[in-house]
Amino acid sequence: MNKAAFYDLDGTLLSCNLVTMQAYYARNHRSVLKSAYQFTKVLVSVPLFFGLDLYSRSLFNIFSFRAYRGMHRDRLIGLADDLFEVTLKPSIFPQAETLIDTTRELGYRNVLVTGTLDFQVRPIALHFGIDEIICNRLEFKNHIATGRVLPPLLAENEKARSIREYAAEENIDLTQSCAFSDSSADLPMLSAVGQPVATNPTRRLRRVAVEKNWPILELRETSTNFPPFLSVAKVH
Amino acid sequence: MKSRTIWRWDPVRGEYQPGPARPLEGTGEISAIDAFRNNTILLLGCTGFLGKVVLAMILDRFPELKHLVVQVRRKKNISGEQRFYSDVLLSPPLRPAVEHIGERTAREKIQVVEGDLDQPLCGISAEHLKRLRGKVGVVVNLAGVVDFDPPVNESFEPNVYGTQHLIELTKLLDAKLVHVSTAYVAGKQNGRISEDTPIPGYFPRRGERENEHFSVPEELNWYEQFVKETRESRTTNPRPVRERLREGGMQRAAYWGWTNTYTYTKSIGEQLIARTPGLSYAIIRPAIVESSLRCPFPGWNEGFTTSAPLVLMGGEGVKGWPVRKDGPLEIIPVDIVAAGILIVTAAVLCGKHKHVYHLASADQNPIMLPRLVAFLGMNSRYKHKHKKSGSRLANIWKAYVETQVITVESLQARRARLHRGLEVIHAVLTLGKTLFGGERVGPFLKSLRDTRRQIRAQEITLDKFLPFMFHNSFIFVTRNIREAARMLTNEDLRRLKWDPESIDWADYWVNIHTKGIEKWIRPVFTVKKAGREF
Repeated sequence: MNKAAFYDLDGTLLSCNLVTMQAYYARNHRSVLKSAYQFTKVLVSVPLFFGLDLYSRSLFNIFSFRAYRGMHRDRLIGLADDLFEVTLKPSIFPQAETLIDTTRELGYRNVLVTGTLDFQVRPIALHFGIDEIICNRLEFKNHIATGRVLPPLLAENEKARSIREYAAEENIDLTQSCAFSDSSADLPMLSAVGQPVATNPTRRLRRVAVEKNWPILELRETSTNFPPFLSVAKVH
Repeated sequence: MKSRTIWRWDPVRGEYQPGPARPLEGTGEISAIDAFRNNTILLLGCTGFLGKVVLAMILDRFPELKHLVVQVRRKKNISGEQRFYSDVLLSPPLRPAVEHIGERTAREKIQVVEGDLDQPLCGISAEHLKRLRGKVGVVVNLAGVVDFDPPVNESFEPNVYGTQHLIELTKLLDAKLVHVSTAYVAGKQNGRISEDTPIPGYFPRRGERENEHFSVPEELNWYEQFVKETRESRTTNPRPVRERLREGGMQRAAYWGWTNTYTYTKSIGEQLIARTPGLSYAIIRPAIVESSLRCPFPGWNEGFTTSAPLVLMGGEGVKGWPVRKDGPLEIIPVDIVAAGILIVTAAVLCGKHKHVYHLASADQNPIMLPRLVAFLGMNSRYKHKHKKSGSRLANIWKAYVETQVITVESLQARRARLHRGLEVIHAVLTLGKTLFGGERVGPFLKSLRDTRRQIRAQEITLDKFLPFMFHNSFIFVTRNIREAARMLTNEDLRRLKWDPESIDWADYWVNIHTKGIEKWIRPVFTVKKAGREF
C-alpha cells in the first residue's frame, strides 16, 4: 500500500490573498486605460469583500469566483506564470518547501487538494515539484468565464470525499497518510487520514487540534519543529 | 503533472465537457502491429526533428517491430553509423525510448547504412543494396531541405534530384514509398485545400494561367540552364552568385504561384513520384510542425525552422503583428505528425492507402491567429516584467503595451516611421560625434547600429512568414488520415493517436510550446548569434 501527503494550499503553504489576485488581473488588462478602471473597481470593492467574508464564507466564495466573469480563458492561462511570480511566490511560507521535500523523501505521494483554480495551481505545483493536483475549475462558455465553478465545488466535505476516492483508485492507505491544513473548514479532510497536522491553524482549528491531540505546525516561522512522524526522516 | 478531474476541455466549443473522451473504435482493416512485425522499414532522414520523434515513437510503442534500417549521411570524417549512435540514439527525444527498451535491444533492432540523398540510389553501397533487396517493405523518406529561400540549387538537389534517387532506390528494392512533403505545396491559395487535387502538372496559379502547362522536364531544363548561366556570368555580373541563385528560385516559384523555393521544389518532388508508373506510394503533407504535445515529452523542439522565430520575436517585445483576423495558423505538434506517419506507413504496408495525406489541425480544431498574437503579448509581458537587464523604460514598454493585430499597410507605415526616427537619431549622434569626439558618442552609435541590425533581421523574418499569416488563409482537409485512423485495430489506436481535435491550444501554446522553445531553441539560437558577431 502506498501513502500520500495531502496539502491544502491557501493559508497552509502560502497566503494567496484573493484581493491581490484580483488586483493583479485588473492591473494586467489588455489596454492600459481599462487596467486603471478595473483597478479602481477592485479598490472600491475591498471593503465589500471584507464585510462579505465576515458575514458568510460561502457567499464570499461565490462572489470571489464571479470576479472572473467575462475573462477569456487564454488570458487566465497566459498570465498564470506572471501571477505566480508577482503575487503568489512572495507569499510562500518559509518552511513550506522543506516540509514538502521531507514528505517526498519519506515516500509520501504529495497531492495538492485545494479550492484554488487549476491555472493558478499549476505554477505553484511546478514550483514545489508536486505531481498531483485536485482543484477547482471555472466554467467557460465559448472560452469566456461565466463566473461559476464547475461542480463539484471542492470545499469541506467534498475534499474528504475526493481524497477517499483518490485513495481507492491509487491504492493508498489513508491511515498511513497525512494531511496538512490551516482551517477548520478542512476538518473532514484532516479527519479522513491517519496523521492530520494542523498547519498554521486558525483559532478554531487550534482548539480542535489540542482537543484531539493532533500535532500543530507553524510554517510561517523560519525554524519550526516538524511532528515526530516527519522528523524521523531527518535522522536518516 | 496530473490533474484529477471529471472534466475534459473541448477546444472547439470552448467549454468543459463531463467525462473522458470516448476512445475511437477501429475497424481493424489495418493492423500497425502486424505491419511492423512482418516488415522491414527503411527510414531516411532520421537525424532531423521529425525523424527522431518518429524513431522514438516506433521504438517505444512497438516492441513487436522486426527490423528497422536507417540511412544516415556521413559528415566529414564521422561515419553514418557513428553519427547515428552519438547524435540520434543519445539525443534527448530518444533517451526515454532507449531507456525503456534498453540500448542493446535498440542497437539490435536498428541497422545503420551509410548513404546520401544527393547520390544515385541514395548513395547506399551495392553490398547493402543486395542484402536489402526484397526484404524492405517500405521506404519512409523524411529527409529534405526545409529552408524557405536557399540558393535554388541547395533546394533543388535534395528536394528534386534527391526524390529522383529515392524513387530509383524504392523501385530497385521492390518496396513501397512513404514520402514526407509539405502541405504548403498548395501554394498561394485560399480556403479549404483538398487532398484529391491531381498531382502531376499541378501549379497554384492554374486558374489565371490556363494556357500554360507545368511540366517537370521543362522545370529541370530551366533549372540546369539558369544555374549554368548564373555561374558563367560570375565575371560580368558584380552581384554574388548565391544571392542571384536565391532570387532566381524565389522568382520562378512566384511565377507559378508558390510562396517560396522550398514549396516549389517539394511540389516538383511530389510530381516526380506521382509520374512514376507502377510505384505504390503515399505522400504525407504536414502543415507547420511544432513542439511535441506528449511524446517523447511535452515541449520537445529542435531547429529554427518552425514558428520558433516568431515566438522568439514575440518574446523580444515586437508589438504589431500583421495577421488575418479570421485566419487559423496551421500548426500541428510533432508527435501527432509522427503518429500520422506511422499510421500511413501501416496503411501502405497493408495496401489500404490513399495517395495524399494532409496532417494538419485547423480542419478539426483551428487556432485563430489573433489568439496567438495575444499569447505572444502575454509572454512578452511576463518576460519583461521580471527582466533585470536592459533599459528599464524599454522593459516597461514591452511589458505593459499589448500586442496588436495590424494590416500589412500599417506595418509598412510603422516601419517607415521607425526608420525615419532612427535616421534622425543617427544624424544627431553623428553630429554629436563631430562636436564631442568619438569616445563619448561612439558607444551610442554602436548600440544604435546593433538595434538597427536587429530590427532589420526581425523584418526579414516577419516577411518570410507573411504568406502563412496574412496573404493566404488555408485550411487543409484531413479526411484521409482520419479515415486511415478509423481503419486501425483498437490496440493500435491505444498506441497511435491522431487527435488534433482534442488539443487545448491555450495550454499547448503557453505551457508547452513557448516553454519548449525557450528551453531547447533559445540557447542554441543565442550561441549562434554570438558566434556571428565575433
